[in-house]
This record gives sequence, structure tokens and C-alpha cells, in this order.
Amino acid sequence: MTMISEEARMLQDLVAKFVERDLMPLEPAVLAREAAGGKWALTDAEEEVILGKCTELGLWGLDVPEAMGGAALDTVTRMLLEEEIARTITPFEFPPDSPNLHMMMAVANEDQRTRYLQPYADGKAKSGIAISEPGAGGDPAGMITRARKDGDDWVINGRKIWVSRVPAADFIIVMARTGEGKRAEGMTAFIVEKDTPGFIIEREIRMIGGRLTYELVFDDCRVPERQVLGELGQGYVPMQLRLNVRRLQMGARCVGMCRRAVEMMTEQAKQRVTFGVPLADRQAIQWWIADAAIKIHATRLMVLSAAEKMEAGHDVKDEASMLKVFATEMAGEVIDQAMQTFGAMGMTKELPLHLFAQQARLMRIYEGPTEVHRMAIAKRVLRRGAAF
Amino acid sequence: MRHSPGVAAPPQQDTAQAMKLLVPVKRVVDYNVKVRVKADGTGVETANVKMSMNPFDEIAVEEAVRLKEKGAATEIIAVSIGPAAAAEQIRTALAMGADRGILVEVEGAVEPLAVAKLLKAIIMKEEPGLIILGKQAIDDDMNATGQMLAALMGWGQGTFASKVELAADSVTVTREVDGGLETVKLTLPAIVTADLRLNEPRYASLPNIMKARKKPIENLKPADLGVDASPRLTTLKVEEPPKRQAGRKVGSVAELVDKLRNEAKVI
Repeated sequence: MTMISEEARMLQDLVAKFVERDLMPLEPAVLAREAAGGKWALTDAEEEVILGKCTELGLWGLDVPEAMGGAALDTVTRMLLEEEIARTITPFEFPPDSPNLHMMMAVANEDQRTRYLQPYADGKAKSGIAISEPGAGGDPAGMITRARKDGDDWVINGRKIWVSRVPAADFIIVMARTGEGKRAEGMTAFIVEKDTPGFIIEREIRMIGGRLTYELVFDDCRVPERQVLGELGQGYVPMQLRLNVRRLQMGARCVGMCRRAVEMMTEQAKQRVTFGVPLADRQAIQWWIADAAIKIHATRLMVLSAAEKMEAGHDVKDEASMLKVFATEMAGEVIDQAMQTFGAMGMTKELPLHLFAQQARLMRIYEGPTEVHRMAIAKRVLRRGAAF
Repeated sequence: MRHSPGVAAPPQQDTAQAMKLLVPVKRVVDYNVKVRVKADGTGVETANVKMSMNPFDEIAVEEAVRLKEKGAATEIIAVSIGPAAAAEQIRTALAMGADRGILVEVEGAVEPLAVAKLLKAIIMKEEPGLIILGKQAIDDDMNATGQMLAALMGWGQGTFASKVELAADSVTVTREVDGGLETVKLTLPAIVTADLRLNEPRYASLPNIMKARKKPIENLKPADLGVDASPRLTTLKVEEPPKRQAGRKVGSVAELVDKLRNEAKVI
């Protein structure tokens, strides 16, 4: 593995300072609002200040190509920055929220680039993506949302669930069947703008970890031909493009959350005395701390190695699956032990730990449940007859 | 100069065109790190410890950048004297807005006098109009380099600056002294050392970090400057300060006053 460049370190330092000076001070207010039943979110006023800071520091469009006004950082650097920003429970992502960037860059036509991709890259348009359905999650075979051609338009009918960012999104990428085929065949991506008749936000679903998702209904939702994103019937492969980078990102985020958990844990272990001895002197606690340090190191190396390979243009399907499993399980364990170290205090909603714990739990489900990844890893290992 | 202190003279284009600023920056243990004494008592542990730019030097760089942004200066040179890795601190200064760097590579301890001599040699070569240093480095807290440099150069010095106003041929420095503020006016070229309240340093922004990569850093050795940088002092021993004794709780103000007067004998 190559050394991390001086520039990457400086950028990491910049984000670390931004997190410590601008995001962490908001934590008590964020936690108090969430504990009182409010949303895990910044207020508009808070967000405005933070976005202003981001503009000033040029922390914008980190993975957006230079030609579109972005910083075009390499994957390794971006993972280091993800790690830093995950150290705080204050909800914030560097704009634009970019789950759809890579998919759109791969397949959007000129017209769509002007209308959707550029405003999105500029942070002026928000978007979401609707894939899962009540009967189809990790396995796309069950997908039944269908679009049928009617004159020059497409008419979409079906139901989507677990879609994030919906009320704020200016457009949603919707995956629907347009042809025959059982699994990924005949799947097409459509760009559906908000307020399109027949596009209904059915309900808000409160998830653990302060997250919100939405269930959507498409009831004779009519969109013109120009809203087809990419090739007809070939929507599945580009959709997958976003997933590997997301899984790497999740690995980096787990490292960041766990670093924070260990920082909190060591501080508590040194000052909390029970039966005349600081917790730090107890072997049970020491082993948690040692194991956490070992796993954080291992996970970070997995993230950086996969990022480097991805940057070099290689397929990281295997690494991304391994990381997704290892990092999220590690985070669950480390954060749980941090909570245990804090005793009753660890069970309160006053520390960031409970939200970290719930978010780590959630991470074992989205972007592919752990078991599906293990299944995929095993399938490939069995086929090759060699581990890696 | 006839303008009153506190009022900046209008920038004079001719002089400003030639106004170079020199800012020395030191690589030190990061201010967030809890410093530990080495087991053998020869110094403090710096292996596997986060290193950063001395915070007072960051203030000095910030001031130089602000002067350049105001049009009062044209070029900022960041100098570091230390190990090869001190190039990182120069790079940070470049990302904050300095134009180029000079690294004088010295392994091991460098004392303030050696630093002052090396800086003097660089000044003779570069001919800056103003040198802005941090008032002291947070590692050894010597608070000596700026003053020694002023003596070696025979230039005026404005130490512990909380405000700096640069005019065509002078610099007005507000100094934090016991009991108040003192304002001095120095003829250029001059030496200024930065105190905590001079400014709040910016973060180097992402675009500027990217630009810093392309700015040049010149590498020198003390011999290139004809300076003997070897230490004049020997450190005998470094030890941790004694652990603080636990305090005592008192029941009332009267008891506190009694103890301060009769036991501690401080009032």
C-alpha cells in the first residue's frame, strides 16, 4: 500500500478541525432535540452557518470532477475525510449529497447533464434513489414496479420503500421494469421530478439512529421519454456503480465512529474508579480497548487498500463486501463496549453513543445486509477455490 | 511619518511592490498532545506523536497573509529550520497563503542562537522588509529567537504584538505589556513577534491546500549558509513536574480566608 500523501494528510487535518470546531459544539443541541422526540437534524439556521463554512473552506463537491467545478479528490483521500466527519453525531454531509453522482456521470445524456447533474454537482439540487420495494430488498428479483410505454411517455406504477432524502429531493431516480426477465434484466432507471402527478409520498418511516425513510407510491405516474436515464432495460449495472463506493464509505464511517467511541471510553476508564481502582486498570476494560484498537487499525487498512485499488480502476466487489461485513460488525461491538464502560451514563440519550450504536446497527442492513454479503463472498471463494 | 499611531498609511505602490515578508515556522509537538518525558530523561517523546506548526507561528503566517491581502506586501517566504519532515509545516504555511518556502535541514536540537544566525544568513540573501515570528515556540518556550535575530541584525523589534500596521517605511506595533498596551513604531526593515491575540489564524482551505503542492520549497543545509548550527548548551536532565497534591474542601468563606491567612500565609 502506498504512503498517504502530504496533501491528503493536510486535507484530513482541515476536516478534523472543521469537525471539532464547527460540528462537535452542536452535538448537545442535536442530542437534546432528538431525545425530546424531534428529528436528528440541524436547524435551518445551523445548517446555513455550516454550509457557509464549507464554502469558505472549499469543502464542496469532493468527488465531483474538476470540469464540473468539484475538487475531484482521489478515493483514498475521500475515505480519510469520511473517517473524520464520522467522529461527530452532528448530522452533516459535504454537499452535494452524492449517492447518485457516479450513476449519473456514467449514463446521463447531455440534456440530463444540464438539467440534473450540473445543478446537483453545484449543490443546488438534491436527489434520492428508489430501489427497494416491500417485496424486494437485497434481492432485486422481486421487483415489480413497472413502466409501460404510452405514446411518447412512460407510465410508472408500483411502490417503493426505504427511500432516503425524499421530501427535500428535487428529483428521484426510480428503478422500474420495462422488459421481461426475472432478476436484473429489463430494469430501467427514470428521473422523476418532485411534484410529478402520480408520484406520491405515502408515509414517513422513523428508523432507529434518528434516520428517516419514506414509502413512495407511483400511481400512473407519467414521465416523458427524456426522463429515461441510460439505456432502456440496462439500468441495473450503472445502479450498482454507486454501491461499491458507498460500502467503502461505510467502512470509513465505522472507523470514525469507533475512534470517537474509543476516545470517550479511554477518558472514562481513566477517571472512573470502582472498588478503589480505575476502570483502566481492569483487564476486561483493557481488552475491550486493545481489541477496539486492533480492529480499527485493521478496518482502516481494509478501507485504504480497497480505495487504492478502486482508484487504480480495479474491481473491488470482494473487498467492498468484506469491508461492509467486517466494519459494521466491528462498529456494533466497539460502540457497545464503550456504552458498557460508561455504565448507566452510557444508556442515556445525553452521549452520542446511543445514536452511534443504532446507526451501526442500521448499517448491517442497508447497502446489502451482512448475510447477503457473506453469501456473495462465499459464492466467489467457493468458485475460485481460493480465499483471495 | 506624520500620521498618528493607529491609522495606517495608504499603501505606497512602489514600496509595496518590493515588500517581502519572511515568516519562520517551527515544527513542534501538536498543542493537543499530552507531552511525555522520555524514559531516559533526555527530552520529551516525539516518536509517533502528532507534530504541527507552532501555534504562535501560525498567527505570524496569518498576519503576513493578511498584510499581503491588504496590498501591503507582495511576497511571503516561509522558513523552517529543523528535520526534513519540517517541510510539512512549510507546506501548511504555503496552504495558508505563503508564496514559497525555504527548509534548512538540521537534525537534532537547534538552539535559538543557531536559528537566529541561520535566519540572518537567509535575510542577507532574501532582503525581506519585515520578519514576523511567533513570540515563542510551545515546545521549549524559549522566547528568544526574535530578540536574538533583532540583535544580530541591529534592527528594531516589536515583540508580543497584538496589532501590526505596515506602512511604506515603518511598522507600527501594539505590544501587550504588563498593565496595558504599548505602541511602538519601527523603521523598516524590522522584526515583529506575534502574541496570541494578534489574530485568529484561518484554516487552509481545500483549494489552497491543492495549490500549495505547486509552490516551491528550497532545501538548504546550515553549511550552505555558512553557519555553525551545533548546540552550545547541553541538556542535563528533563523531568516531569511534580504531581499536584489533592486539594482540600473548606466549609465556608470564613474558613477559607482563615486558612489562606494563617496556614498558607498568602493574604
